[in-house]
Amino acid sequence: MKILVCIKQVPDMESKFKVDAGGTWYARTDLAWRMNEYDEYAVEQAVQLKEQVKDADVTVLCIGSDQVKETMKKALAMGCDRGAHIADDAAFGKEPFEIAGIIAEFAKGKSFDLIFTGMQSQDRASGQVGVLIAEMLDMPSISTVVHFAYDNGTVLAKRELEGGVKACVKVQAPVVITCQLGMNTPRYPTLPNIMKAKKKELLSLPVQDLLKVAARQQTAKIYFPEKKGGGTVLEGDVAEMADKLIRILKEKTGVLA
Amino acid sequence: MEFSREIYWNVGHGAWTLVPMYLLAIVAIGLLVKGFLRRVEVYKQGLPLNRMDQPGRRLAIMLENVLLQKKVTGVPWPGLLHGFFFWGFGLLVIGTTLIVIQADFTDLLFDVKFLKGTFYKLFSIVLDLAGLVCIVMLGGLLVRRYFFAPEGLETKKDDAIMHGLLFVILITGFIIEGARMAVTEMGTPLAAWSPVGLVVANILSGLGEAPLLVLHKMTWWFHLLLVMSFFIIIPLTKFRHILTTSSNYFFSDLGPKGKLVNLDLENEESETFGATSLKEMTWKDIFDADACTLCKRCQDRCPAFATGKPLSPMKVVNQLGEAAFTDPEVNLIELIGKDVLWACTTCRACQEICPAAIEHVGKIIELRRSMVLMEGEFPGEEVMAAMEATEVNGNPLGIGYAERGDWAAELGIPSLAEDTAVDVLYFVGCYASFDKRNIAVAKSFIKLCQAAGVKVGILGKEEKCCGEPMRKIGNEYLYQSLAVDQIELIKSYGMKKIVTTCPHCFNTLNKDYRDLGFDIPVQSYTEFLAALIGSGKLRIDARELSCTYHDSCYLGRHNDIYEAPRQLIAAAGGRLIEMDKNRAEAFCCSAGGGRILAEEKIGERINVRRVEMAAATGAPVLLSNCPFCLTMFEDGVKGAGVEESLRPKDIAEILAERIR
Repeated sequence: MKILVCIKQVPDMESKFKVDAGGTWYARTDLAWRMNEYDEYAVEQAVQLKEQVKDADVTVLCIGSDQVKETMKKALAMGCDRGAHIADDAAFGKEPFEIAGIIAEFAKGKSFDLIFTGMQSQDRASGQVGVLIAEMLDMPSISTVVHFAYDNGTVLAKRELEGGVKACVKVQAPVVITCQLGMNTPRYPTLPNIMKAKKKELLSLPVQDLLKVAARQQTAKIYFPEKKGGGTVLEGDVAEMADKLIRILKEKTGVLA
Repeated sequence: MEFSREIYWNVGHGAWTLVPMYLLAIVAIGLLVKGFLRRVEVYKQGLPLNRMDQPGRRLAIMLENVLLQKKVTGVPWPGLLHGFFFWGFGLLVIGTTLIVIQADFTDLLFDVKFLKGTFYKLFSIVLDLAGLVCIVMLGGLLVRRYFFAPEGLETKKDDAIMHGLLFVILITGFIIEGARMAVTEMGTPLAAWSPVGLVVANILSGLGEAPLLVLHKMTWWFHLLLVMSFFIIIPLTKFRHILTTSSNYFFSDLGPKGKLVNLDLENEESETFGATSLKEMTWKDIFDADACTLCKRCQDRCPAFATGKPLSPMKVVNQLGEAAFTDPEVNLIELIGKDVLWACTTCRACQEICPAAIEHVGKIIELRRSMVLMEGEFPGEEVMAAMEATEVNGNPLGIGYAERGDWAAELGIPSLAEDTAVDVLYFVGCYASFDKRNIAVAKSFIKLCQAAGVKVGILGKEEKCCGEPMRKIGNEYLYQSLAVDQIELIKSYGMKKIVTTCPHCFNTLNKDYRDLGFDIPVQSYTEFLAALIGSGKLRIDARELSCTYHDSCYLGRHNDIYEAPRQLIAAAGGRLIEMDKNRAEAFCCSAGGGRILAEEKIGERINVRRVEMAAATGAPVLLSNCPFCLTMFEDGVKGAGVEESLRPKDIAEILAERIR
């Protein structure tokens, strides 16, 4: 069985973000980097699947500068077998169609039985890459998967829908799965696996060899949400607060009219 | 008349006595040696560990603790019972040896007798009284064990054998003496030099000479047989502590106190890290169990045990020993239990009190290392999250690393990246950098330094967690990555001195980092400020303050810094009301050993227990010297419902409030 896991290196969401000089993305200064949270579920699921079927080879793919190799090493330490690094210093500026195009181009002809991606990235959050890859490779896809089971070529997945409802989906591999929170608990790499990961294959491919599609969207501008007026906290005894509330509702809204 | 007595009186000194006696002795000693050699084979299952360096220093530690019973009598009750028994028993052994030397060597070969005259009188009364002391002390120990057993005291078959055998040996000794005196010394001035023997002689004297001679001879042989049995069963019973515990002082960890063994993570040959089985522990870890006398002092002081967690340091040590002797292949983590291993706060209360020089904490960490490094297991998901947060942002709180120095922005404190011309580097630590409550402590410390004219620098956003909680949880890999990074960074700035307000950082930089080539002096802020006050550079107004003080484990037991913080409290005008458990006996706040990162899910809360002890003093302020302690106490006053009456504070805060 051949498995592909697509991961992205993103800034830690606790970082202090600033808009970059171009005004179309965040500045890279003072950021701490890590694996996209949803991609961690993807890696974990791929490794669990490998452990289940025994005979499997897991390739982890990541697009970005040399810096992303650090995150790829974590995926290798978690149990992926080899790394495919698509070298692209300008990956952060690429839109989902281009990213999916690059990955599909890489995967084409490699007959992956399963492709795992995160449900979305924590920084761009388009949620499109996984399903686009499936379309481009003419494969079925199941998105926002919270539970995954595999048995002899058949995938049984639970998708998360609105309002806590889940959908059970059954499909034959090959298939693309996009992973959502709750699917599994990503493992903490063991030290022997961290050391083994240092010796695993990690090939870099230039992005120009794989980028065959043109961008369809452009980021016009990114900005912080405008500061709106803060809330008002009412204080005093209950009767007093009720009076104040009624006054506000009368003055500022039409609900009591 | 010359004061002396005939050795082998009534028993005879011919071949019929000496041959069987020495044959018995040879057999007994032979069996004793054989018994121990078999145990040595079991010890050898463990990994090698050099505990033979600095033999002089080791011997001194051993003599101090064996001959003076220093650690044993550190807990006066029942330590002194053991102490006096030991000293009495020691005198009896010396006395018996002198008899053997005179009768079978100096007198036999050279006609030299030294057990005579004044020396004999002294010899006689000392041995007589030593025997009495032994009986009384043994009786005290027996009554304690069998009638007023304190909670947790394990009594086994060994204890009955030991009590019984020693009692009969001592009593038969007095019967032999009494029978001899009844025949030979009644009415002589010499009798007064054996007062206890005389009492026995008076009781026996009615029997008449012939029965006395028979009684004496039979009892003599019986006594001899008992003593030989004693030798034989030393290795087979807890009597072995006579040799193992004594040697364990020799094999003590010579320090630095409590420093963990540095794992070689670069070694490509290593396939396992930490320990899951005995062959991955050292011989000393097995030997420790043989040195344990089950006195349960460790268990009595263990904060985890006291609050209903499954950990007993005594039990862990003995489980290792039992496994070594019965099932050496067993998986120790399963045998001991994960909850047991995760419960330890590495507070060191067990090791500090242990009268057998046993090293409990290192064993637990070694097993934790295996769980973390080999299995990726933690006490809870929150701990794994803290590890990942530290990998990404260099702090277990998961806050963006770039904000680390923000607290100092308004104080005019440069980061070393901006200015290296500073007197000291303040290694702030994660809590004082990010946690609002502890930022107040950092600011107080800066205020004090500025008042004393000391120019302080920080690493700012370049500082990372020192790695202490990670190391203690067992994550040696993450600890070493952090340590190597910080060491290189601090060295690159050419700093001459580092001060910390966190005893965990202090202990780690000052001890653990030394193994990784870090040589810059590190000082705890308590000693640093005490010196500034002492030299007059820092002037503090003593203003009335009623308070109690909590010795943090890592400033106290791990580093023996007890006086500097008390000097600071005195300088601030503090009237200190000590808790019952203070200094080396202080009760942990619950946050050591990486437990700061973990939820406390089993038993009562340790921090609440400690806060209740503080509240019991009636003092309105609970002072401490550690960000972990402060965090736990802020939480603990709520848990104990004393939020209104007890305010946790750091010593730096009360000093900063009193700058002149």
